[in-house]
Order: sequence, then structure tokens, then C-alpha cells
Amino acid sequence: METERTVQELVLPMGANVGQFESRLNFHRKLAAIVLLVFAVSFFLPFFFARENRISAEIPGRISALALLPTLLLLLPPTMILLYALMRNSRRSEWLLSFAGALGLLAPLAVLAYVGPQVVSTLGPFARYSPGSGMYLYVTAVAIVYLMKARIRIGDYIGLAVALAVVLALGYQGSFDRLGILLEARNFGTRLSREITAHIRITGISIGISVLVGIPLALVTFQSRRMRKLVFPLLNVLQTIPGIALFGLLIAPLAALSQAFPQLREWGIKGIGNTPAIIALSMYAIYPIIRYSFTAISSIDASVVLAAQGMGMSSGQVWRIVRLPLATPGILHGVRVALVQTIGNATLAKLIGGDGLGVLVFEGLGQASVDMVLLGMLLIIALTVAADRIFQILITVLTPVSLRREGV
Amino acid sequence: MTTGPVRPTLEETPSFLKAEHISVRYGETVALNDVTLHIPTNRVTVLIGPSGCGKSTTLRCINALVKTSSGHIDYGDASIQAMSETDLRRNMGYAIQSVGLMPHMTVEENVDLVPRLLGWKRAERTERVSRLLKLVRLDPQVYRNKYPHELSGGEAQRVGVARALGADPPVLLMDEPFGAVDPLTREQLQDEFIRIQRQLKKTVVFVTHDIDEAVRLADYLIIMKDGMIVQADTPEQILAAPANEFVERFLGPDRSLKRLSLFTADHCCLERVVSGTGKPSETQLPKGSNRCYWQVDADGKPIMGYTWIHNRIIERPITSSTHTVQPYSSMKECMSAILGLGMPATAVVDDDGRLYGEVRFETIQTISLS
Repeated sequence: METERTVQELVLPMGANVGQFESRLNFHRKLAAIVLLVFAVSFFLPFFFARENRISAEIPGRISALALLPTLLLLLPPTMILLYALMRNSRRSEWLLSFAGALGLLAPLAVLAYVGPQVVSTLGPFARYSPGSGMYLYVTAVAIVYLMKARIRIGDYIGLAVALAVVLALGYQGSFDRLGILLEARNFGTRLSREITAHIRITGISIGISVLVGIPLALVTFQSRRMRKLVFPLLNVLQTIPGIALFGLLIAPLAALSQAFPQLREWGIKGIGNTPAIIALSMYAIYPIIRYSFTAISSIDASVVLAAQGMGMSSGQVWRIVRLPLATPGILHGVRVALVQTIGNATLAKLIGGDGLGVLVFEGLGQASVDMVLLGMLLIIALTVAADRIFQILITVLTPVSLRREGV
Repeated sequence: MTTGPVRPTLEETPSFLKAEHISVRYGETVALNDVTLHIPTNRVTVLIGPSGCGKSTTLRCINALVKTSSGHIDYGDASIQAMSETDLRRNMGYAIQSVGLMPHMTVEENVDLVPRLLGWKRAERTERVSRLLKLVRLDPQVYRNKYPHELSGGEAQRVGVARALGADPPVLLMDEPFGAVDPLTREQLQDEFIRIQRQLKKTVVFVTHDIDEAVRLADYLIIMKDGMIVQADTPEQILAAPANEFVERFLGPDRSLKRLSLFTADHCCLERVVSGTGKPSETQLPKGSNRCYWQVDADGKPIMGYTWIHNRIIERPITSSTHTVQPYSSMKECMSAILGLGMPATAVVDDDGRLYGEVRFETIQTISLS
């Protein structure tokens, strides 16, 4: 299937058939060399940090200072990659990559779970630890290892599941109790789930508004050339206004509005808070929705529409029977892009008094608590990835069977 | 150049589809300039001309996809301008070069489109789809649930024709329907079209830029240039007497051969042929006879031809489908088969490949002379 395209196919020039095996071999060696280099650098950077309390100075911990056993564990994946690079038949020794990948994710977390509590116990009751740049780089190297693979097989999923299970077991046992991010999450308590819900709600309402406005507007824009000349330049300008500026711009008019009509204030329409945030977010989200919908509608084969008209479909029927079903996948892609973008942008809502995960990020910044910022960021990334996945499934389900082959 | 009213010189065919002095202008450009034509009923009218001559525009005026700037088109007693566009179009099948099958619908749903628009009952429609698919020689069992992307170019065109015939419209408009397929498939599709037209006798308006196709299919041929009609007549008349140099050049140097495309094998097919399962006896093929003897197999399919040439009996094995013709093959194909076989005649076989008759070279000669 098309999804099983390998990295070398993407990178090598088309039609590199002559000596393809040779170049494939060389390519793999080069990639392996890069991975080994990244691993090597990660060993010289601080692997983790410890702090006496949440805002005190960081005390870096390096791999060189670790005991023998954790060091050996961390050295095992790079060694496997080295072996792989030395093998003649790269396809047959791919199991080495699978093993290096799973172990490469497990090892740093296990080492952290082992070393972290030891270091922290000497630093007092408020001490905490967090991963350092060395560990992030180490994980990056592991990610490249997965890219080197021709395809992700069932064995890889099993390996990842085992690694995850071990990490969860370590966590259950209490090894990560003093991990900075988890401490922050615990401090937030129920407020954390409230902010997550608020983030989803703000995003959802914004996307809802921009879908309800954007899709009909795209249809109208498609029908009328005059609208096209009006809508697209307007959207382009809107898109160039920086996010924070747009949020700020809305404060004054909305404040004035709620001043004039106190009734609005009861509905939550004020200069600051979630309302201006939702308005601004909808304005941003509308761009991809209109763009994608317009492109989806206008890229429908003209002969199909001509045939439909020639058979005596009314204009409404052409839309209902031909254009909309054929444009649906494209329109949904626009909504997906808008959704992913809005989840990120919704972080800014905090700046004008709104809720959501931006609260963690900006309060964390204010308190100079790296762990808190990180917690907010990780949750936003998780939300984005989850929403993207769910939407991809939705698009697949809603695409007419006969159109799915186009690799939507 | 004739731009005034042109009447078909076919035997008196009443026309219920008439364009009177229609013009189409886009700003400064004149796409159609005062065209008058009466479409003969139950006949095939072919519009032909170089690119931009206005043939497609004329066709689209008929189903109101293009609005006329002046003049009017009458459909029966009413002017089409007075009719609802959708009603008008549902009364006219429409097939185009790029087919334009709905990619998200199955073959059945595509063929079923107009009947569904007209609100036919489901059972009636299912039955209709099967009939139409059989008509265009696609097995309903196999093709009903296929999607357009699973069809070859020729199959898609057949579905396109079936769809145009969907609600049994009296008029069929075809805009270069066989233009986008390979020459072999095109010839097959033309054969099929002739067969279907003989069966259904629709009023067909057919646009093409291929003169061979035009000569082959047309009962009434209209040659256009620069938005005007240059000559309109039966293809026989046009081939015999081109109106001017343009038409002459357009028809090409092999006009006489083209005339052969006008006749199909069954026009001059002799059904009384000498045949048998064995070698010919003296009585079946007398010495020195310029007649032919066809040896057939157990199924009645011709496998060998015998004739006398230069006092010697010669035998020609029939090994390829180009050695024989079918009743609706053109005389040009007959000519080719005769040359290919190296006999004074070629065998005509029916749809199952069984011997049906023969076409002789001398018969073809008399046609060319007439």
C-alpha cells in the first residue's frame, strides 16, 4: 500500500533503479551514522535536572555521573544501531532496529525512575526532578530509528507496548512521584480537568461557528465572482494579523458593546474573557475552512457537472447529488486543519482573561516554573494529536467508498 | 456558402426539432451566426467541422446549456426558450466525450440518474438499468455495482450511452462521445451505436470532428465552419458533390473509399452461399468458377475459404476476425477483409460467429459505380 513508503523512497531521486540496492545500503549507513551522532551528543548534555523546590536553580545530572548499570542500559540501543550499520543485509537485520527502538524509549525513562528519586531524596521535602536536554535528544535519536524502518510491523507495536507497560508499572510503584510535571499536575488538582474541558469547549465553539459560517460562505463565494473578489483578499488580510493583536483589537469594541447593552454581559459577552477569544479564534479558523472547501468544490471534474446539468438536474440537485458529496472529503480536511490550528491558538485565550490550557502555560511563565509550562504544552500537544486522529477516522468514514483510493 | 434554411433531402422526414436563425455571441466573438437547421426525426444528424466551427455550441443550444443570442429553437409545438430547462434536458439524452460519470456512484446509480430524477418506481428502474446495460453489451451482473474508476475507457463510454438512454428520451445529443477512446474501441463503439440506433430509432444529433465517423454514422450530414453551415445533405450527396473547396478538402482525397463506409455489409450480402463441413466437391465449386466455397466447423463457423484462381483451386484459412465481417460492418471493412483474405469475397458471420452470407468484390464495385 502507498502508506508503506520508506524514507529512502522519499529521499532518493525518482527512477534510481540502477544500483538501488547499493544506494539503499549507503543511505542506511548514513542514517545510522546520524543517529549515532545524536546519541553521542545526548551523552554529553545534562540527562536530567534536580531542584530543591519548584523555582530554585537547576542541578544538572549527567550520564557520566551515573552508576555502571544504568549507563550500560543507555548504551545498549546505540550499540545495536552500530551493529545494524555494520550488517551487509540491512533488510534482514531490521529486527535490530525494532529492538533498539523499544529499548531506546524504555531505557531513559527507567534510568530516570531509578536515578531521580535517589538524587531528590538528598535535597529535602520539596525537591523534584525533570528530564534534561540530553534525554530529549536521546528520545529524538530513537524517533529517527523508527523512521529508518521500511515499515512499522506488529513486533514494533508489541515492543512499544511492553516499554509503555514497564514505564506505567514504575509509575504505579511511585518512581515518578517526584517528577516535576506530575507534581505540578497534582498541585492543580481539579482545576486541571476544568482547564482541559474549557480548552476543548472554547475550541469546539470556535470551530462550530467557523464551520457554520465558513462552509456556506465558500459555496456563495464559488457561485459569485464578485464575492470571490471580496472574500479572499479580506481573509488574506485577516490571516496576517498576529494572533495576540487580534485578541487585543476585540477588547475595545466588545467592552463598548457590553457597556451599551448590559443584557449581553449576563450572556458572558464582555471585552475580556472567553467571548473575544472565541470570536478571534473563529475568525482565524474560517480561513482554512473556506480555502479548502472552495478548492474542493472547484476541483470537481467539470465534465461531471456538465453531464449532470445536461441530464436535467436543477441547480439545487447539482449541489446535493454531485458537488457536495464529491467535495465532502476536501471540506472535512479544511475543518481538520482549522481544528488543529485552533487547539494551538486557544492557548492565547488566557492573555485576555479566558480559560483553557493557556492558563498553565502563562501562569507557569509568570512563576518561572518550567514544569508547569511543560505540563500545559504536553497537554495541548496531546489534545491536538488526539483531535487530528479522530478527525482522520471521521474523514475516512464519511468519504464515499469509491473515492477512498485516492489516498485521502 | 449556404446559410439559409436547409432541408434534409432525405425522404420526407417531418422534423419536430428545428433551429431557426440562431446566433450565439459572447461579447465581440460570434460563436454561431444565423444557423438554421431542421433535425430529421428518427435519424442520425451529424455535425462536423474544424475546432471552433460552432458544432458543439449548436448542440448545447438544443438542450439550453448555451443560451441563444437571437433566433429560436422549436421542440414540437413549443419554443425551447419557453420550456423549463430541466424538463427539456430530461427529454434529451446527453452523452459527452469525457463521459462525466459520477465518480461516487456505481454504474447502476449512474444509468439510473434520469429515471430517478423523473421519479420512476424502483422496480421499474432496476429493470430498466438491466435492459440498458444489456443493450450496450455490458453484463448487468458484472457491471451493475462497479464504480467508474474500475471501468476501461470503452466501458465507461458504453455506460455513458446507457445513461443518456436512461429514461428513453426521444432525442439523443452526443458530443464527440467516442472521441477519447483508442481507434479499435471507437470502431467497436460505432458498430454498437449503429446496431442500437437501428433498434431504437432515436432522433440523434451527433457532434464529431472525425470525418470517417461522420460518414459512417450520419443519415444527414452538416458541415460547419466559422459558426455557419457550409453544406447540409445526406453523406452520399456530399461525398458525390462537395459544395466547395473547403468541403472537398475536409472530406480528404479518399472520398471514394469513404463512400464505402456508407453501406453496411447487409446491404449487399448474399445469403445463398455454398458451404459444407468438408472440402468442396466438383459440383459445389466447379472448375474455373470465380465463386467461393466456405468450409465450416461443427458450430457453423467458417474455417476455410476455397476458390479458383488461374486454373488452380486455392484454399485460404480463416484465422483472424479481420478475415470475416458482420452484417453491420461497413463496406470499407468488407473491402479490407477481402484484401486480407485474398479471395474474391469475404464471409459474413452473425453475432455468434456462424456463417451467414458473403460479400463479393464485384458487388462492391457496382456500389462504387452507382
